[in-house]
Amino acid sequence: MRRILISTAAATCILLFAGGERSPQANTDGPSEMTALDDLLAEDCIDEVATGIAQAARRLPQEGGVTSDEWPPNAIGGVIPPIRSVSDPFPTFDGIALDTVNDKVIFSDENRHSLLVYDRTAGGASNDPAEPVQYVFGPKTKLGFIAGVEVDPVRKEFYTVNNDSGDLLTVFSYGDHGNVQPRRSLTLPHQSWDVSLAPKRDEMAITVQQSNAISFYKRGATGTAAPIRTIRGLATELEDPHGVYFDEAHNEIITANHGNWTQIRPYSPYDPQTTDVGEYKSGAFHPSAITFHAADANGDVPPLRTIEGDLTGLNWPMGIDVDQTRDEIAVANYGDSSVRVFRRGDRGNAQAVRVIRGALTQIVGPVSVAIDTKNDELWVANYGDHTASVFPRTASGNVRPKRVLRNAPKDTPTCGFTNASAAAYDTKRDAILVPN
Amino acid sequence: MFARLANGNVAPSRVIEGQATNLSRTMHGIAYDEINDEIIIPVALSGAVLVFKGDAKGEVPPVRAIQGTRTRLVRPHTVAVDPVNNEILTADPSMRAIVVFDRMASGNVAPKRVISGPKTGLLDIVGLAADPIRNVIIGASRKGNGDQVGLFIFDRLANGDVAPKAFIGGPKSKLAHFRQVAIDPGTGNIFLAQQNTRMKQMEAYVLDKPREGFKLKDEDDDDSDSGRLDTMGFVAVYAPDDNGDIPPRAIIKGPGIRLAGAAGVALNTKKKEIIAVGGNGFQTFLLPDFFRALKKPGSTNQQP
Repeated sequence: MRRILISTAAATCILLFAGGERSPQANTDGPSEMTALDDLLAEDCIDEVATGIAQAARRLPQEGGVTSDEWPPNAIGGVIPPIRSVSDPFPTFDGIALDTVNDKVIFSDENRHSLLVYDRTAGGASNDPAEPVQYVFGPKTKLGFIAGVEVDPVRKEFYTVNNDSGDLLTVFSYGDHGNVQPRRSLTLPHQSWDVSLAPKRDEMAITVQQSNAISFYKRGATGTAAPIRTIRGLATELEDPHGVYFDEAHNEIITANHGNWTQIRPYSPYDPQTTDVGEYKSGAFHPSAITFHAADANGDVPPLRTIEGDLTGLNWPMGIDVDQTRDEIAVANYGDSSVRVFRRGDRGNAQAVRVIRGALTQIVGPVSVAIDTKNDELWVANYGDHTASVFPRTASGNVRPKRVLRNAPKDTPTCGFTNASAAAYDTKRDAILVPN
Repeated sequence: MFARLANGNVAPSRVIEGQATNLSRTMHGIAYDEINDEIIIPVALSGAVLVFKGDAKGEVPPVRAIQGTRTRLVRPHTVAVDPVNNEILTADPSMRAIVVFDRMASGNVAPKRVISGPKTGLLDIVGLAADPIRNVIIGASRKGNGDQVGLFIFDRLANGDVAPKAFIGGPKSKLAHFRQVAIDPGTGNIFLAQQNTRMKQMEAYVLDKPREGFKLKDEDDDDSDSGRLDTMGFVAVYAPDDNGDIPPRAIIKGPGIRLAGAAGVALNTKKKEIIAVGGNGFQTFLLPDFFRALKKPGSTNQQP
C-alpha cells in the first residue's frame, strides 16, 4: 500500500518531518485545491510534537499484521504523523497511601499508569518536581487506569486497583522497582475503584462503580478467587461508590458515593443477547453521600447511617480516610476542590466540622486524602495540579499547605484525561469536546 | 473542551463538571448538534442521556435529561444526533439496542424507535452515527467470538428486530476492539476508531459475579496497554456503500495513532481534520483525501 498518499502539499510537509521520501503515487490535485490546502498548512503546520512522532514512525518495524505495508491493500493513508497532539507527559497523583511505620507515601498515577513511592517527608517549597525513591511502571506491571492505592506496612506491600484496562488488583513489594511483575494479582469486577485493608480480619474491601457494590476478599487472594461476600442492591444506597475505608475499630465500612445509579445488566461481547431480564428499574441521580455499613454486611442490606444533603457540601466525593484519634472522616471533595472533615458518627444532612478550600490551599481536583496521626498531618492528592499538598491535621479554611510535593514543574498544566474514549467537534467555537 | 489548535500538554479551555451537572466520571460518548448548538452526553452509570447548551461551562445543570422507566435505558454508552430529522440516538449495550428519541425529549419519555433483537446482531454496541443524507444509522458492535464484530448499517427508520441492510466486518477487515464511529456528511465516508486489532478480552466477572469457566491468560502474555506493534489500533475509513468482509479504503496507523489508542474519532470537515482520542490524549490529522469519494480497494484511488 502507499504509506502516505495525500495531496502534494500535505505530503511534502508531513514527509519533511517524517524524513522519508515523497510518495511516488501521491495524488495530484488542481490548483484551487492546492491553494486551499496550502492555506490549511500555513495555519496549522506540524510542530515538534508531530516531528517526534514522525521520527518514531521511521523506526517502526514493518513486522506484519496491521503495521505491514501490505495492509490494507491499495488503501490511502498509512503511518501518518499528527499535526497536533495533546497529552500530558507527567504523572498525576490519584490514590494515596501513607505508611508512617516505614515513612513512605505511595501514589497511584492514572495518567502514565505507574505507582510512585516517596519519602514521607518529601516535598517543600520548591517549584521543581521531587524524585520518587521508587516507582513501578511498564508493561510487566499490568497497571492500567489505576485508582485507589493501599499499603500494608507490616508486610511492606502496596496494593492498587485497575479501574479500567485490566480489571486487576495488583500487589507490589517495597523492593520492587521499574518494569516488574506484581507479586500477586487478583481479578476484580470491571470498574473497581478503591481498596482498603482490614489487617485483623485479614480481608480487603473493594468498591465497584458500575455494580454499585462493595466486594470483600481475603487479603492474600490471588488469581480468580471469588469474593467472600458482596454488599449490593437497592437497599444498600451504594451509588457509584468510590473511596472506601474498612474501619475495623468500629466494625464499619465507610464509602464515598457520587450518586449515580443504574441497575446494570450484562453488556460485554461475551454475554448473551438477553434483553428480557425481568423487572426494570430506571436509572437515577442521587445526591453525593457517605454510607456506613456493618463490616459483616452481605447482600442487599441498608446502611447503618448516611451523610447526605445540601449542608454536607459533598460533590463527587472521592477518597476517604478516618482519623481514629479525633474520630473524624476526611473526604477528597473533587467537585468543589476541597477537603471536608466530618465527625465519624455524623448522619443525615450534617455540616462538615472543617473544610479546607480556597486559592491558598492549592487544592485542585482532589482525588484522595490520607491522615497521619503520628506526625499530625493531612495529605491531599491533587489530580488537577500535579501536586500533593500536606496540611496540619486540623487545618481549616483557606490556608496554605505546610509543604507541596510536585510530580511536574510548578504550573505545569494537565489535560485532565482518565481514559477518554470519544470526541466531538464544536463547529461554532472551533473546539474539540472530549467526555472523560 | 480544547481549542482546535491546542497542542502539547495543555489544560482544557472549558470544563463541565460537578454534582449539579448530573454527569459522572464515566462517559463514553458525545455528540455536538451544530444546528441547535447543543452537546449531548450519555451517562452510563445513571441510565440517562443529558443535553447541555453549547456554551455550558462549570457546574451547570443540563437543559434536558432523558431518564426514567419509559426510556428503558440501562447503560447508554454512545450517542449521535440527527438535527435534520430532530432525533437523538443512543446505543445501550446493556439493552443490546439502538434507541431513538425525539431531539427535544426530556424526562421520562418513551423512545420513538428501538432497534434490538436477534436479527439485528447487535450486542456490545460501542459506536453510533447517523447520516440523514443517506438515511442510515450505523452501529459499531462487538461480539466475543469474533463473529458479527463490525459496523451494522440500518435504514434510518428501522425499528424492532430487523436485520441490518449492510455489515462491514470479518477477518479481512481486521475489525476487533473498536469504539466510536463518525460520518462525513459530505461524502458519507465512515470513520471508525479501533483501539486494538485483538478482540476485546473476556472480563473475569459478569458484573459482580465471577464468570463461570473464566481462565487467566499466561503470565507472559502481554495484555498491557503498551500492546504489540502488530496488534496496534487505527482509524479506518469506508465508503458509504461498503458491505462485507473488506479492508478499509483509507487508514491512519502507526505510533501516532497508538499514542491516542484510537478509541474515539471526530471530524472537522471544514478543515479536513480527523481527531483521534484515546488513552489520555488526542491527536489531530490533516488528511483532505479522506474527505473525498473513496475508490474500492484494488482500484487506483485517484480522485473520481
